[in-house]
Amino acid sequence: MPFPNVRLANRPLHFIYICDCSGSMAAQGKIQALNQAIRQSLPGMAEVARQNPEARVLVRAVSFADRAVWHLEQPTEVQQLQWLDLQAGGITAMGEALELVAAVLQSPPMEERALPPVLVLISDGQPTDDFDAGLARLMREPWAQKAVRLAIAMGHDADTEVLQQFIGSDPGGGLPAGEIPGASGQTPLHRSGRSPRRPLQASSATSLAQYIQWASTAVVGAASMPASRMAGSGPQANIPLPDLPPTLMDPTDDVGPLVW
Amino acid sequence: MGSARPSARVWRPETPNQPSVNWILPEGASLDLEGISSPLQVLRGLGGGTQGQVFEVEVAGERLALKWYLPACIARDPHLERRLGESIRATAPSDAFLWPLALVKSSQGAVQLLRRGEPSFGYLMELRPTGFVGAHEHVGGHLAIGLLQVLRASFFLAEAFHALHLKGLCYKDISLGNLFLEPSSGRILICDNDNVDVDGRDLGSVLGTPGFMAPEILMGRARPGANSDLFSLAVLIFRLLTRHDPLRGRRELAIRCLDEPARRRLYGEEPLFIFDPADPSNRPDPIEHVAALITWPIYPEPIKQLFEQTFCTGLQDPQRRALTGQWMAALAAALDQRQICASCGQETFPAPSDPAPLCWSCGCPMPPPGRLLLPHGQVTAAPGNELHAHHFDSLLPLRLNQPLARVEAHPSDGDLLGLRNLSGHSWQAELRTGNRVMVEPGQACNLAPLVRITTPAGAVELPS
Repeated sequence: MPFPNVRLANRPLHFIYICDCSGSMAAQGKIQALNQAIRQSLPGMAEVARQNPEARVLVRAVSFADRAVWHLEQPTEVQQLQWLDLQAGGITAMGEALELVAAVLQSPPMEERALPPVLVLISDGQPTDDFDAGLARLMREPWAQKAVRLAIAMGHDADTEVLQQFIGSDPGGGLPAGEIPGASGQTPLHRSGRSPRRPLQASSATSLAQYIQWASTAVVGAASMPASRMAGSGPQANIPLPDLPPTLMDPTDDVGPLVW
Repeated sequence: MGSARPSARVWRPETPNQPSVNWILPEGASLDLEGISSPLQVLRGLGGGTQGQVFEVEVAGERLALKWYLPACIARDPHLERRLGESIRATAPSDAFLWPLALVKSSQGAVQLLRRGEPSFGYLMELRPTGFVGAHEHVGGHLAIGLLQVLRASFFLAEAFHALHLKGLCYKDISLGNLFLEPSSGRILICDNDNVDVDGRDLGSVLGTPGFMAPEILMGRARPGANSDLFSLAVLIFRLLTRHDPLRGRRELAIRCLDEPARRRLYGEEPLFIFDPADPSNRPDPIEHVAALITWPIYPEPIKQLFEQTFCTGLQDPQRRALTGQWMAALAAALDQRQICASCGQETFPAPSDPAPLCWSCGCPMPPPGRLLLPHGQVTAAPGNELHAHHFDSLLPLRLNQPLARVEAHPSDGDLLGLRNLSGHSWQAELRTGNRVMVEPGQACNLAPLVRITTPAGAVELPS
């Protein structure tokens, strides 16, 4: 006889992509790289969702150019998700995008009980609208304060200052929890600056795909089901973030120390 | 507008056949590693996490799994290599563990071939056989599995920890994530044995996984060891048996955002068992926590008492937690009294002492079943129930993996129950008429006309 038809109670985990679709994203195949990276990450994300019986992973996406609009408005279970391509063209209404996100993080429509949302902001440039007002609106929402906020800078023209403001201050201060520079004696010095609490610098399609995959699997896992804890990891934010993916030793990938 | 400064680089999208997993060991490469005499061929990547990556490899004609660590993981856990070496020398406590077999390290030559160019190490283990699935598949309700198999899996889990603890070792980080089940049999496999340590020595960095960690570990009052393993083991058995969490009741409903501080309150600062007999304030919610309310009444009292012992007094007193041997005894006894409800066909576990048991599923009264009386204990005559050596000799350890006999329904008449001889010896069955028949290994005999079966292990009595 089968085990009773019951399952662990679960909570929704809202995962929202906030994607820059300004005209510059049309250059050099960036928008295609982003579409492909997100599409490729979906099977892994679905697998993580299945492994975490405590979570119901729901995906949405906002695109911003001249205006910010919902690209995927309905919270969609990742298993059912079919990614439609983003199109690039226009300016960079990033502040308006954050206001759109703020509107769905208030209750209602936000559920009374949930797991911490995951917000992923991807941009290659500077906001052209009132970013500060949009961020202020977003951060008035308690669910936005509780959210895991990640930012990916595509190329080296992205405004990492505003991306860092979106993430909030790096609680680890100098060194990120996951990285121990010089531990192997071979880690290039500039890589010790990588931290999930800072904008992730994606300078090629490969590193972009890795960061998107990391955000949609490792981070979703951390936000929905706790992972093994190590001693001495120090005070953690409301969700301890997993290590960043290892980078290839590709000399054309990391072009040198990043300037903040 | 995002600036479009001209750049030589083109953002070529990842092509669909180019996975974005970044395998540290190049697939297809043959590596000379320290620790093994033959070259190791990397066949394919199997999976990766924040600790490292797992590969299918071939060494001297044998297919094995290799876990290879990321340097950041080794830096965080400086005694990892030493613990692994000691585990390999100690050998596996039982075959339920996918135990490290050999330590392998990158040699000078091999470092050049590694994708990150950084020296590291890993260990070889058996490949996980097909048919085993992650225990989360059961807890998430994705698996077709019976109560018999779930109780067996819980027994095998307790038995594996029994063997581990008897070796003086502790696991430290058992959770749903490193347990695998074979749904058809209930057999288990325990993976990720790299935190195993000598109990009390504390030569490691792992603390455990929130939700499975004992409160004293989560709150930093103690370091993980065999006593905290007993807490984690009880959580895991509870989750297997109920598909719910032992500490998530009404108090969880008051939490809007289930994040780290909230988990710390639920599991560390103010833990309260949802079925605490003395304090009902954290009972399951009838809508949100229905799994716990449906499954808890299924199980016999001795199992519930072990949960109460571990999650009430044992919550703050690690010495009082139910021991692995107690779990084995209670789970084996539940399997012995397994009975099929004649009305709804569901598996039930009424105590033999219960004068008027009701089915937990349909509520119908359960008529007294046929019973097989053994030198040590009794087994209800229900299809799937098994006789084991410990039923005949109380000095033998409780084992479920080598049954001597199994109750089976007749293939064409389901009401007709027989006992199949799974042993290597002939039995003599004695009929009510006084006649005797031989039951050879592999044969089954109809239980209805029997009064006794004599086996080399001892007698099986069938009271009329």
